Amino acid sequence: MYYKFSGFTQKLAGTWASDAYIPQGLKPVVSTEAPPIIFATPTKLASDSTAYDYAGKNKVPELQKFFQKSDGVPIHLKRGLPDQMLYRTTMALTVGGTIYCLIALYMASQPKNK
Amino acid sequence: MTHQTHAYHMVNPSPWPLTGALSALLMTSGLTMWFHFNSGTLLTLGLLTNSLTMYQWWRDVVRESTFQGHHTAVVQTGLRYGMILFIMSEVFFFAGFFWAFYHSSLAPTPNLGGYWPPAGINPLNPMEVPLLNTLVLLASGVSITWAHHSLMEGNRKHSLQALLITISLGIYFTLLQTSEYFEASFTISDGIYGSTFFVATGFHGLHVMIGSTFLTICFLRQLKFHFTSKHHFGFEAAAWYWHFVDVVWLFLYISIYWWGS
Repeated sequence: MYYKFSGFTQKLAGTWASDAYIPQGLKPVVSTEAPPIIFATPTKLASDSTAYDYAGKNKVPELQKFFQKSDGVPIHLKRGLPDQMLYRTTMALTVGGTIYCLIALYMASQPKNK
Repeated sequence: MTHQTHAYHMVNPSPWPLTGALSALLMTSGLTMWFHFNSGTLLTLGLLTNSLTMYQWWRDVVRESTFQGHHTAVVQTGLRYGMILFIMSEVFFFAGFFWAFYHSSLAPTPNLGGYWPPAGINPLNPMEVPLLNTLVLLASGVSITWAHHSLMEGNRKHSLQALLITISLGIYFTLLQTSEYFEASFTISDGIYGSTFFVATGFHGLHVMIGSTFLTICFLRQLKFHFTSKHHFGFEAAAWYWHFVDVVWLFLYISIYWWGS
């Protein structure tokens, strides 16, 4: 069975060997082994780039482990205290601002008494 | 067994849509308070809460995608549709201002003198700074394409360099345009010419700033190794937006600066 990748549906679809045909002969069957994940192999290093430290090491794998912890905490609070503080500040400013806005609009709708 | 058996993303409940909507209320009523009662408090509050919402919402999207892996192929397809539809809505936004410009400039009224540019207006020379601005944005289109190819080839140094060049060109455009705004002999209140010129170029300039900000975020994310050579939709979305900004400028340059001078 041959397969082609439909760029539109982003899925594999079965097809005939004729799709894999090229005049030089059938294209070799591609290995069905999943390729190693991108982070598993280091990116190309030019010989002089080792002299640079591009803003520290790659912290993504540890962050991936951290954020995938099954603790039931929603994503916007998952980092703990800093997330809580920012959430509370935002909510306080927003809700407080809305109340202030309603009062200001109420006052602005009062006719000016001559 | 509680894990899902489909490839879609069921988002955690989030407060940001609410804070975003309320911040929009604060910004709009804040504008009213500023215009009519000379008070900037509400507007400032609105802008602040809007920025906080945007920061936390998009921070969460990065957490959900890069750190939790929720952006499967089908999710990414949805995001692509979303970005394209958003850019299309922006195209229609600008179409309105171009309509206004052509409506007034194709049939100039007697009180303008019956010709365009109207009587008394000294338009900017399209072959001076506006032409430089055009070249700056075109060059930034080239550099962002270089950045994309470097990213796809796994070349970290080049992708960072090219992104930095693109952002610098965007900032250079903004600075040049700001100085043009001060140098112009006409203002926004100079009749229909001033209105169409400054509203159209002004909104464009705002979009350049938004695009530059988006690209800066991409630069920081690339620094932190968020993008892979195969999966970097955030960057692609920024690149699409940047090309859109460039194309709008080309239309502005041809219509308002060149034909309209």
